[in-house]
Amino acid sequence: MSDQKISVAANPAVPATAAPRHRVDPLAIVVRFQSLIGLVLVAIGGVIFSPRRHGEILFLNPDNIANIVRAVSETGIIAIGMTFVIITAGIDLSVGAVLGLSSVVTASMMISGGFGLIPTILAVLVMGIVFGVVQGTISSRFRLEPFIVTLAGLQAARGLALIVSGNQYINISYGDGPGLAPPVFAVLGERLFDNTVPVATIVFIIFAAIATLLLNTTRFGRYVYAVGGNDRAARISGVPVSMVRISVYAITGFASALAGIVHAGQFNFGSANDGMGYELTAIAAVVIGGTSLFGGAGSMVGTVAGTIMLGALANILQLNNITPATQLLATAAIIVLAAVLQSLVRRREGLGR
Amino acid sequence: MSAPLLSVTGAVKRFGGVQALRGVDFDLKAGEIHALLGENGAGKSTLMNLLSGVYTPDEGEIHIDGKSVTFNNPREAQAAGIATIFQELDLVPSLDVAANLFLGRELMRQGAVLDVPAMRREAKRRLEAIDLAIDPARLVADLSIGQRQVVAIVKALSYASRVLIMDEPTAALTVGEVERLFEIMRKLAASGVGIIYISHRLEEVPEIADRVTVMRDGRVAGITEPHAPQAELVRLLVGRPLDELYPERARSAGKPLLTLRDASFRLVRESAGWQPPTGVSLEVREGEIVGLAGIMGAGRTELLSALYGTGLAGRWQGEVAVDGKPVRLDSINAARKAGIAFVTDDRRGSGLMLRMAVGLNLVMSVIRRISPAGLMSPRRQAEAVARSFGQFDIRPKNPDIAVGALSGGNQQKVVLAKEILGNPRLLLLDEPTRGVDVGAKGEIYARLRALAAQGLGILVASSEMPELIGLCDRIVVLRQGRNVAEFNGGVDEHTVLAAANGREA
Repeated sequence: MSDQKISVAANPAVPATAAPRHRVDPLAIVVRFQSLIGLVLVAIGGVIFSPRRHGEILFLNPDNIANIVRAVSETGIIAIGMTFVIITAGIDLSVGAVLGLSSVVTASMMISGGFGLIPTILAVLVMGIVFGVVQGTISSRFRLEPFIVTLAGLQAARGLALIVSGNQYINISYGDGPGLAPPVFAVLGERLFDNTVPVATIVFIIFAAIATLLLNTTRFGRYVYAVGGNDRAARISGVPVSMVRISVYAITGFASALAGIVHAGQFNFGSANDGMGYELTAIAAVVIGGTSLFGGAGSMVGTVAGTIMLGALANILQLNNITPATQLLATAAIIVLAAVLQSLVRRREGLGR
Repeated sequence: MSAPLLSVTGAVKRFGGVQALRGVDFDLKAGEIHALLGENGAGKSTLMNLLSGVYTPDEGEIHIDGKSVTFNNPREAQAAGIATIFQELDLVPSLDVAANLFLGRELMRQGAVLDVPAMRREAKRRLEAIDLAIDPARLVADLSIGQRQVVAIVKALSYASRVLIMDEPTAALTVGEVERLFEIMRKLAASGVGIIYISHRLEEVPEIADRVTVMRDGRVAGITEPHAPQAELVRLLVGRPLDELYPERARSAGKPLLTLRDASFRLVRESAGWQPPTGVSLEVREGEIVGLAGIMGAGRTELLSALYGTGLAGRWQGEVAVDGKPVRLDSINAARKAGIAFVTDDRRGSGLMLRMAVGLNLVMSVIRRISPAGLMSPRRQAEAVARSFGQFDIRPKNPDIAVGALSGGNQQKVVLAKEILGNPRLLLLDEPTRGVDVGAKGEIYARLRALAAQGLGILVASSEMPELIGLCDRIVVLRQGRNVAEFNGGVDEHTVLAAANGREA
């Protein structure tokens, strides 16, 4: 009932240089940082419930932590792209398939095509962008639900990947000469800084940092929020709505291709069927991170924290030999909790739903 | 004398620290149409929610036929004969009229299969009972807002039949639909139903109400008869005399800003119900507020949206000039380049990002200016927001809360402030005070006049005739997309109405 709280103003032109700060709903703060809080809670739980060997907490073992952040780096990169799309109230189901396609193209360009490292990476990234631009353009031009367009995109990417790979694993062998990939590509599966930080994680973190700046500090980022908040109002305000829509799918395409390259480098092969279900993991991470599927609200930091939290949770359950079935149930509970918290805040703010 | 149909005594309701009702007495007689007026926050919604069982009072009692009753939920209120029609009609647009009327209480055959023919027959009978010929098989989505309103009334009456509470039923209706609704209300009242009628539109009160209760600050400010002068109602509403709702007019206008001469908007594809501007000639000068009058469907909204490039696809023919130079107004970008800004009549649907903060909404129209080289400048953004808060008394004074949580009047101030930040030269306004309370209206009028005094030209379309007459320097009357008459501000309402309807005054 906003009606009761808001008094009516009848005196015009009240000077207001700086608007005073108001009390903020504590629940809103919790939701704003829900995935960070969740991450801290999971980490504390990880320490408490971790198995110990010779007094050492295995959860905190540097190798274990490196494993957690390495394992989430591919879905994390995708979730970062997905955050842009979901803030515009869209969805991209094609990301996992584009990852598969990109891993296949990366492998086959270097192994059968004899292309060098840089041309391969650039070509795959451009392919991902083009894939997203096509999806975004179809959705925007014909006013189709992104759900449908990217569902078709998922099928198309898998189909293309199967054609390129002939439904075979394309193994990547390293060396100098035809049929071999440049050895430096294998660095994606290694760790830097005294064998501590996985390179895949570094790619994830750098991409996250750039995406955070793009979303929070640029005009484009503001447009993304505006299109998701109310596309008609955005259009009337002069926002190039179609361009923004197409761009966010280009970003998920780019992110999926990047994740596909990292995938190929980590596992030393390209496989058309890899990346299945990544779209759902990524969406889960975004929602847990506090981004609303209704659009117009969300945060990149939340997504990163949500991604790592899901990885840490899976890790602690694995360490305790808890079955994957239980992991799925735990993830389900967290998604519901995150969504319920958001809904409570919306209602408190008098916005319904 | 018998007890009133419904009465409330000493009702108190608190929400946390806020006292929404501070001891309200109210009564409704059978067969009476009782208007309940009050600004946003006066407590009329809370009172309505007490009567419809949404809330229970902290103190005080509700009586029906003199017997004390307690409603723990809306179902109990319905069982006692009280039906409420909220502003947001609870109809399902994708279902047909009959299915909506029987939603949750469907008629079945053999207890398992929907008896669609029986429901349609019964729906038709109920609709005809109030002289309404709507095919019960039509989808609600295909009905006009006015027809939906009536379907909602029929639905409410089938739940409960003694007291009907209507929350701003006319807010979205055309003049013709309002007339029709009033006829139905009178008919219901004549059959003994008591109706509580909540509205912002003071001018409707004498036409429909038998009695008027005005609320202010959670109390009853006064009970009066419907033919009380408007000034008296306004005094009760805002708690002080408001002799000047409308500001003084400008002395003189400057150079022509917008000139249309025999201008028509040719649509790429004709569309039923969209009346394109046809051979329009008009002028808006610097510092001038020009009104667009006309009946529903005369093409007021269409003229504004065609000028701004938000209407249907098409192009202008004839002379369209800004600053005396011909311009092609065929897109939002073209309009914005020409210094034109537009405020839609649908602030929730196309004016605001409801879930986003007030501050973010305010700077939408100046994003380019506050993001040099593509990077948002927090300092410039804060300056822009502070400027808006300085110009409009937006309450609460907090740029960080979601704009959807503001009252209608404050939301409207945000939409206006947003466009004004862009320093337009010509402002197109469609229904600038729809769903806005009197206090906020006065502020908006004063602000518009002040902006005009600085040289802004304003073209404003409104279905509220007193608003056009009080606010505008000139009024252009449209009929079937054409300008058919022009009057100076302060003209009497009948003259304008006659021109709008194509009759001699």
